[in-house]
Parts: sequence; structure tokens; C-alpha cells
Amino acid sequence: MQLSFGPEVEDFRVELVAFLDEHVPVEARTGFDMMDSGAEDRTEVIPEWARRWQATLFDHGWMIPGYPAALGGRDATPIQTLAYLEEMARRRVPRSLHFPGYAIVAPSLLEFGNAEQQALIPAAIRGDTIWCIGMSEPDAGSDLAGLSTRAELDGDRFVVNGQKVWTSYATVAQKCFVYVRTDPTAPKHKGISLLIVDMDTPGIEIRPLRHLSGAANFAEVFFTDVEVPAANLVGAQNDGWRITQGSLAHERAGLWVEGVSRLESTVQSLVDLVQRRGLTADAGVRRRVAAFYEQAASLRALGYKGFASFAQGSSAPEHSYMRLATAELGKATYELGMELQGADAATRDSERGEENGRWVNMFFMSFANTIAGGTSEIQRNIIAQRVLGLPRA
Amino acid sequence: MDFTLSDEQQLLRDTARTLLAKECPPSLVRAHIDDPAAADELWLRVADFVALGGGPLTDLCLFVAETGSVAAPGPFFATAALFAPLLAAIDHELTPAVLAGETTGTVALAGADGVWAANDEPVKHFVPELDRVDWVAVIEAGPTVRVVPTDELPHRLLATIDWSRRLFELDSAALPGTAARLDAATLDEVVRRATVALAAEQVGTARRLFDMALEYAKQRIQFDVPIGSFQAIQHKLANVSLEVERADSAVQYAAMAVDALDDDRRRAAHVAKAAAGTAATHSAKDSIQIHGGIGYTWEHDLHLFLRRAYGSEAWLGPTGWHHDRLADLLFNA
Repeated sequence: MQLSFGPEVEDFRVELVAFLDEHVPVEARTGFDMMDSGAEDRTEVIPEWARRWQATLFDHGWMIPGYPAALGGRDATPIQTLAYLEEMARRRVPRSLHFPGYAIVAPSLLEFGNAEQQALIPAAIRGDTIWCIGMSEPDAGSDLAGLSTRAELDGDRFVVNGQKVWTSYATVAQKCFVYVRTDPTAPKHKGISLLIVDMDTPGIEIRPLRHLSGAANFAEVFFTDVEVPAANLVGAQNDGWRITQGSLAHERAGLWVEGVSRLESTVQSLVDLVQRRGLTADAGVRRRVAAFYEQAASLRALGYKGFASFAQGSSAPEHSYMRLATAELGKATYELGMELQGADAATRDSERGEENGRWVNMFFMSFANTIAGGTSEIQRNIIAQRVLGLPRA
Repeated sequence: MDFTLSDEQQLLRDTARTLLAKECPPSLVRAHIDDPAAADELWLRVADFVALGGGPLTDLCLFVAETGSVAAPGPFFATAALFAPLLAAIDHELTPAVLAGETTGTVALAGADGVWAANDEPVKHFVPELDRVDWVAVIEAGPTVRVVPTDELPHRLLATIDWSRRLFELDSAALPGTAARLDAATLDEVVRRATVALAAEQVGTARRLFDMALEYAKQRIQFDVPIGSFQAIQHKLANVSLEVERADSAVQYAAMAVDALDDDRRRAAHVAKAAAGTAATHSAKDSIQIHGGIGYTWEHDLHLFLRRAYGSEAWLGPTGWHHDRLADLLFNA
């Protein structure tokens, strides 16, 4: 399924395809899996080829097409951006292996940063600076506004004490967006501020945190009397909560494309797996795979429909639906992939089972998708309250 | 393909919604249970829209989503979504009169297994509205088709769970008239069209059931608060609304694919019917659960739509059957 667009979009697509044909590094052609799985085997968090690829995208105006050239884009329209996301997803090519800089820091600084802070944006998008985001804490997960890392203003500097957790890329990042409490007496949403912190500042301790699949690509970050220049405050003091909502707003209506493409690709992998395992005559298995196909295909339709209303100026509540559905379905498809291996599902042995443990790895990793960035339960709350207009408890 | 509705399409949908809300209240659906003639007046109000059966499927779908939303009884669906497209496809002489809403018809095709494909069984099953329409197109192995008046045909009304759609058995062993050849691919397209239209109807039914539950969750007070403030209720409604929106989009896509004769239309039609059936039955179950005791009563209208949801799910191929056909396409049989 693909929508056909006017010449203005198709010309754009042709140019993109020519660029990709020429420049996509061979390492980026291994598909979506590379982004999640293999973390156990991967020696570098962000390999050299991925850094070069992100810089190449930026230099050619293909990193964030909707941005101007100085920010790695080409002033693309929303529909062109959708075509871009489609084409990247179809080829299963990631833009970047570290999202915080280009997807969160850059748009937040564009909206809330001062001139000096905005000068950090190009390097964040190009990937020259690696950023991490200090949001979650041991006692502030879904209830993010309950964060308790303290920052006290002392002359021309803040002194930060506390702990962040699940901080992706902390072990390799140069800079961090740290959300801190600057007014402990105010209601919890009103006492939060955002600071830019250099990760080599004395008093910061980073402990890699292994996740359940065994890999360690996030960390705990401890702050002990960390001194941060007051000039590193982003936006107004105690007004940091609204910055937490920052994202690439103009790409929001198209972000579902990658999730759905990944799901479709997994369904196709299931079809291949069923054939390899000699299960094509199993009526129950056939029906379950077909049901996943149905759900993925109808989600793509929902995504396009949401985009059509977005392009006409409506908000796109479909985004919440898409996030919830692709995360939940992804987990279920990987689990079926494990199940189809029968007794071999107990192994991830290259001599047995399938694809060197790919399915179990993806299944274990997929638990993150229904938790990180807002659990499925939080997504349902958002749908119920913001889309359906149900009252808060 | 573009999911944006044109101004004309929005007007059609709004017109249908207003018209059907007025002309087909639940009291009419109830009256029709004992006396099918209770829907005759409704037919006169919607007959003009049978013309949609000769146009783009996307437009027909917009209209039948609204008939599904009110569980409209009567010959509209059989005439506009089955009979008219079939007659138009074979260029039958009755076509103009049917599209003008001057005469009504239905189609007899499925064998005892309920599969809508040509077969040599003498008795045709699950024929809609047979005794309330003027004509029936009987399709037999070949395939062939003969269009005959419904007067005095040997038939039997089935006892159905959904009283808003009447289904019949028709003994076609000794039919009058001559059978004309029917192109198999033409028949395939006609059945696909009707399947997507039914899916659109189911989305309408699903949405009605969901809307009733949402409204009830906002006004029903227990423990001093609306029950819709409880997470258990919110999550049920969030899940159902996702399924309804997903099905709605799948139906619109399938209709566009059929209209464009796109290669993807075979898969898209199976996806649409399966997604719509799932949305309607889940919406029905959760709507009754959210209503609690009152939803379990005869007096409450919910069961009218519950019946429509499950009746439509079983007709023109249940979800599992469509998944099996999708699997045939995915695994190359």
C-alpha cells in the first residue's frame, strides 16, 4: 500500500532514491534488527560507519528534510517528509543510531533555547555531539513530574544532586539534557527546570546498566555536587515541564511509518520462518500469521488516514494509536516467532533454532517498546483522556 | 489514493447520518422483528441512494456505514450492495430501474457452507431479504446467472440471531427462465465489493456500540465518580477505539483499492472484513460489559446492535475464513 502523490513529492522521492543508491553504507543495509539486537555482540554503542552516515545525511540535506539546509534539511513539506520516512523505512535504513540529539535536543532548543544554546543544534543533528536525556529516575518513571534530582542556584551556577536512570547513550555522550527540581515547594509540574550539562563535569558518575537481554546500552547517572553554569538553563527557571513534550512536531504525523514498516517486515519474516520450519500446512499457524498481516495492513491504512487529516490541519490522534498498536503487536509477532521453533526455542545456539537467536533476542528487546517513552498503559490513558475525552481519575 | 474525503463525500455521509437517525430509530428495528413491513417506510426514504450501488464503492461504503450504525432493516443492502452491482456488471436490462430505486432484488449464491462462491448445490443459503424484494439473481456453477421474480419461489426463512437482517434458504432446483453465462472474474469482483460494503456496515455498527459505551461511561456515576474515570474502563475503551479506527481505515483503503482495480484489492478486502468483524464483535462485548446490568436487559437497545454485529460477522465469511484466504495469498496457497 502506498499513496500516490503529486509530482512535487515524486520528484523529491526520485532525488532521495538516487542519493540513497549512491551513499547508503553497506552496514546500514542489514535491516531494522541492527538497531536493537546484536547489542550483546556490538562492541561500540555507535559504530564509526553510523557516525559517517549521519554526517553524510546532514551534509546532503537528508537528515531532517523539513529543516533548512543549515540544520541538515531542505525545507521539505510535510508530505515530502512522509515520503522520506516511507522510503527510509522501506529500505530499512536508520538515519542515526542515537536519537536524543536530533529528535529531542534539537527541536527543544529551537523552540526554547537562547542564541548561544541554539548554536549547539547543528552538531546535535549531524551527530558530531552525542547527547543523552536525563529524565527518568528510580522514583519517577511514568510519573515523570515526580522527579527529585535537585538543582540549587548558587550565584552564577547551579549545584546538582541526584540520580537519573535508563539514560540511553550516557556512556558515550558529551552532553546531557538534565531535568531537575529547582523549586521543591511548588506543585510538582511547576518546579522543574532544564539544564544542559557537560558529561565530563566533575561529580558525574556513570554506571552502565545491563538490560534483560544482557546488553548494556543505557546507564544510571549519579550527580554529586555537580556545578553547572547558570547560563546552561534552557528556557525560564521552573518552566521546564513543557519542554519535556518536545519532539519533531512536523515529523510527528509520519513517525508511525517506521513502526508499521518494521511490523510488516516481521510478518514477512514469520511467513519465511513458517516455510522453513515446514509448517505451511498448519491451519492454526497460517491463521495467526494472517491475523498479524491484517493488523499491520490496517494500521498502515490508519496511519495514512491520520496523515490525510493532519495535512488538512487537524491534529493527528492516530499517533497515540499507532504507538500503542505497533509496540504491542511487535512483541506478539516476535513471541510467535519463538513459538514456531518448538523445542529449539529454548536455545540461541547457532547450530539449532533459527537465525542465530534472532527471534528470542527481538522478543526480549521488544519489552522496551511497551515501556520506554510512555508505557502502553500510559498510552491508553492518553487515548482515553485526550482523544475520547474521558475524565481523569 | 488519498484518504481525504471530498466535500461531496462529507455531505453524503452527513446526509445519510441525519436521514437514518431520523428514519430508523431503535423502535423501528424492534417493530421489524415481528412485522417486516415495519421497514417499508424506511425503504422509501433510502431508495434514492441505491444509485450508489452503480458508482464508486467508496461512496456506497460511506452510506452503508450509516445503515450499519442504526442496524437498518429492509432491502437496501441486498439491492444496493449485491443485486445492483451484479446487474450493472452483466449489463442486465433491469439495471436502470434498480439503480433508480424503482425495484428491489437480492442475490442467491452461497452453498450450505456459507461461502459466497459458485457451486452446484440446488439449495442456496443465507440469501438476504428474499421475501421482501422483487427479484433474485441466482448464481449457479459455471458460473451462470438467472434473474427471476421472487413470487412463489420455494424458500424458507431462517431463524437468525440478528432480526434486522432476514436470511433465507432458496431451492433453485426448478427455477424458471434461462441462465446466462457469467464471467468468473466479474463474479469475483461483485462478491468482493459486497464484502467490503458489509465491512463498512460493520464499522458503522462497531462505532454505534462504542459511542453508546463511551457516552454511558461519562454519565454513569458509581463510587461518586463517572465510571469512565476508572482506568479499567478507560483502557477497554481505548482498545476498542483503536480497533474501530483501524477497521474504518482498512475499509476505506479496500474500497479505494477495489475502485482502482489495484492489485492489492484481494488482500485489502480480506483485511477489511476481518478488521471490521473484530472491531464490531469486540465493541459489542465491551459495550455490554461497560453498561453493566442495564446492558443485559431486553429493554436496552444494545442487544439490537450486538445481534447485528454477530450476524454480520458470520455473513459473507467470518473473520477466520478471511484470515485463511489471506494466508492462501501470503503462503501462495
